[in-house]
Amino acid sequence: MFELLFTKFDEKVQLTEEEKELAKTFFLPKKLRKRQYLLQEGDISKYVAFVEKGTLRSYTVDERGVEHIIQFAFEGWWIGDMYSFITNEPSTYNIDALEDCELLLLSQQAEEQMFEKIPKMERFFRILVQNSLIATQRRLVGSLSQTAEERYNDLVASCPTIPQRVPQHMMASFLGITPETLSRIRKQASLKK
Amino acid sequence: MAKTAIAIIGATGNMGSAIAKSLAKGPYRLLLFAHDKAKLESVKQDITKATPSADIDCVGCPMDASWEADVIISAVPYAAEKDVVEKIRNVATQKVVVSIANPLNETYDGLVTEPGTSAAEELQKLLPSSKVVKAFNTTYAADFAQPVINGQQVDAFIAGNDEDAVDVVKGLVTTAGFNAIVAGDLSKSRTLEAMQALLIQLTIKNNYNWLAGFKILHN
Ligand SMILES: NC(=O)c1ccc[n+]([C@@H]2O[C@H](COP(=O)([O-])OP(=O)(O)OC[C@H]3O[C@@H](n4cnc5c(N)ncnc54)[C@H](OP(=O)(O)O)[C@@H]3O)[C@@H](O)[C@H]2O)c1
Repeated sequence: MFELLFTKFDEKVQLTEEEKELAKTFFLPKKLRKRQYLLQEGDISKYVAFVEKGTLRSYTVDERGVEHIIQFAFEGWWIGDMYSFITNEPSTYNIDALEDCELLLLSQQAEEQMFEKIPKMERFFRILVQNSLIATQRRLVGSLSQTAEERYNDLVASCPTIPQRVPQHMMASFLGITPETLSRIRKQASLKK
Repeated sequence: MAKTAIAIIGATGNMGSAIAKSLAKGPYRLLLFAHDKAKLESVKQDITKATPSADIDCVGCPMDASWEADVIISAVPYAAEKDVVEKIRNVATQKVVVSIANPLNETYDGLVTEPGTSAAEELQKLLPSSKVVKAFNTTYAADFAQPVINGQQVDAFIAGNDEDAVDVVKGLVTTAGFNAIVAGDLSKSRTLEAMQALLIQLTIKNNYNWLAGFKILHN
């Protein structure tokens, strides 16, 4: 249940066996079935989620009812609405499961308690937040200045199995292009190989 | 709102089935567990017949039911709770666990718990990383079908140490049709369990027919 999380911890901090046992007690293990919501627009995001298994996406819905995908999360990734999590304001996002998922949820209160008991964890989460800030900036710059093809290549580089795991129209929504444009890009990419 | 998933362990019992039936009307996903699969399936079918919109599944083991849940209701006899805890411990951390047990002795004239503790506090000791909340122990199973008795809405008391967890349980109690009253921290469970012991004794003595409850009269 915690294998992947501890692999991630081990990459950045060294925890003793006792600290690992203690760390487990701060997480809420949660199974989500395909199409179920972790968060719906208007909810306060009480948790950030680590993905042990499965795929999720976060998205907003505009006034015309069109979905815009902000992020996907696969095994070993984190997902949540940081803004709502930190401010306790209602979220403008939806997060749902694209496959059956096994998650480890962390509430703000549990996170604080964990930092107090295992100060090393604060380092882990600082690096995590840094990396997520970098990824957000890249995505922002990408959407302002990259071609659709470049953005597609970046997405596939971040998760090579994504074309098999996520429906075309969702990848298109993430990239901010139509499914037709995406299928043209993919056709060209396969010709180049 | 994303649905709250509730595991009911012991869902074929008097209480487990009554709680499941009344919560099925609310915005919840119900995950039922009991050993007797055929009986469990018939509980599910009864509920779906009464509430076609119910989001409800029978789950093969208490651990899987609890893993998928946000809230776990332990609807087994007090003596069986240790056994249940061993199975769900690893997936119950940080979750709301509802203690409904009344730890009565076999002759119903006393409690098996020591003075200075309660079934709820003992459960909290067994699950130190969970948020145990006492609820539904002062309402009989039959009250769920009739939460208003003689024109009075039955009071249902809640006790717990975690404010958010108490709020979640307040939502369940209200959905079930009772008047929720937060009694205080988890140690108030001692009083709540003793109150129900008294009500059981009076029910037997005065023939209340197992349809009875508490009501605080106030201005
Ligand atoms: N009856 C009431 O009006 C009332 C009111 C308030 C509170 N309570 C409390 O509610 C609890 C349940 O009472 P009840 O009257 O509903 O009892 P019940 O009708 O005997 O039901 C008990 C349930 O627990 C299951 N169970 C028993 N041992 C188990 C074990 N080791 N592991 C897993 N499941 C087990 C049983 O089915 P399987 O063995 O098939 O799994 C059954 O589903 C008790 O703690 C009681 O004090 C009862």
